[in-house]
Amino acid sequence: MDKLISPDPGLMLWTIVTFLALVVLLKRYAWGPLLTAIADREARLKSDADAAEAARAEAQRIKDELSGRLASVEARRQEVLDQAARDGEAVLSRFKETAQKESQELRDKTLAELAREKERLVRELRRETAELSVLAAEKLLRKSVDPAVEKKVLDEFLRDVEARGRH
Amino acid sequence: MNFEEILGHHLLDHPYFPLFSKGSFTLAVTRHSMTMLVVAVLLCALLPLAVRARSGVGLVGRVIVEELVLFIRGKMIVPIFGHAADTYLPYFLTLFFFILGCNLWGLLPGASAVTGNVSVTAALALCTFALINLAGISSHGFFAHLGNFVPGGMPSIWWLSPLLVPLIFVIEIVSMAAKCVALCIRLFANILSGHIVSLAFLCMIFIFSQFGKAVGLGVAPMAVGLALFVSALDLLVALIQAYVFTLLTAVFVGMAVHSH
Repeated sequence: MDKLISPDPGLMLWTIVTFLALVVLLKRYAWGPLLTAIADREARLKSDADAAEAARAEAQRIKDELSGRLASVEARRQEVLDQAARDGEAVLSRFKETAQKESQELRDKTLAELAREKERLVRELRRETAELSVLAAEKLLRKSVDPAVEKKVLDEFLRDVEARGRH
Repeated sequence: MNFEEILGHHLLDHPYFPLFSKGSFTLAVTRHSMTMLVVAVLLCALLPLAVRARSGVGLVGRVIVEELVLFIRGKMIVPIFGHAADTYLPYFLTLFFFILGCNLWGLLPGASAVTGNVSVTAALALCTFALINLAGISSHGFFAHLGNFVPGGMPSIWWLSPLLVPLIFVIEIVSMAAKCVALCIRLFANILSGHIVSLAFLCMIFIFSQFGKAVGLGVAPMAVGLALFVSALDLLVALIQAYVFTLLTAVFVGMAVHSH
């Protein structure tokens, strides 16, 4: 069993030569191409990752820009709405004022017409009353009265009535 | 039945024919040298094929090789060597795959375990020893590398330093050699012990059959089961020992490259 732990220089030389030759051959035909392929793939992945990162940054920039625009549009919309509300209130107030003015004018005019009509009716009524009174007096006296006298009596009567109406 | 003879037959190297002989040195074509050659040829044939594979079984091989390569590069070599990783990577990849290939080849029925031969592991450890010094010299220069064997911070007492510096220098040289010897023995002992245990379990059948054929047959299932279990364990050991040898070599070389 001593042979198990006795180094054999010949086999050691074989091993060193075989191993070093293997290092050279594998470096040339296996590790070189493999490491190049891995490096290329890593470079491609890095490039893709960079492109994705750039796209993400661009998307974020566009999103921020759109948010800014949206905020601006929202502010403008609010401004327009406020302006419209203000304009509406002004129009409403002007309409109300005009309507009040017109209704007041209409009311005043109507009242004036009513007053005039009343006066006319009162005058008409007095005249009718006077005529009826004269007719009644005439019938009562059974005698005809001169039309000029009748007009004179009637005017005096109306004046008296008006004077009494004033008092 | 002689167990020592069986072990010798299965584990020791056998010369086929000598090539050169001078004194005690003999260079011969042996069973283990041929096994190493076969493993090397297989690696030279299969790895480039796997690396270039685009589909089929080759692609599976490529994925496995790539994963191992990326693991060794990312977890072992780059953390130790940093920017110089690419310089040393081919050596460590070859070391790992060569040891793994030899370990796995030794598990095939009828094949010999070359990494269970101390000469093979000693030669690999010698390569490590050489690489440690070559890397140190190429990184710092010859004298600076020698100077790195004496650690800084030693007491600067005029009468003590001339004694202490050579002593520390010798201790550090021995320490480095001991690390390489430990590398050699660790791989050799782990692989050899697995094979010895497997053989021991199988020999139990023949030992017990001397008490009667029925006893031998009765022991056989248990012995074969245990031998299979140890062989399965050896698969794990093959991978772990290749990893450990490569990792420790990288650490030792890294210590020489980054001495401070």
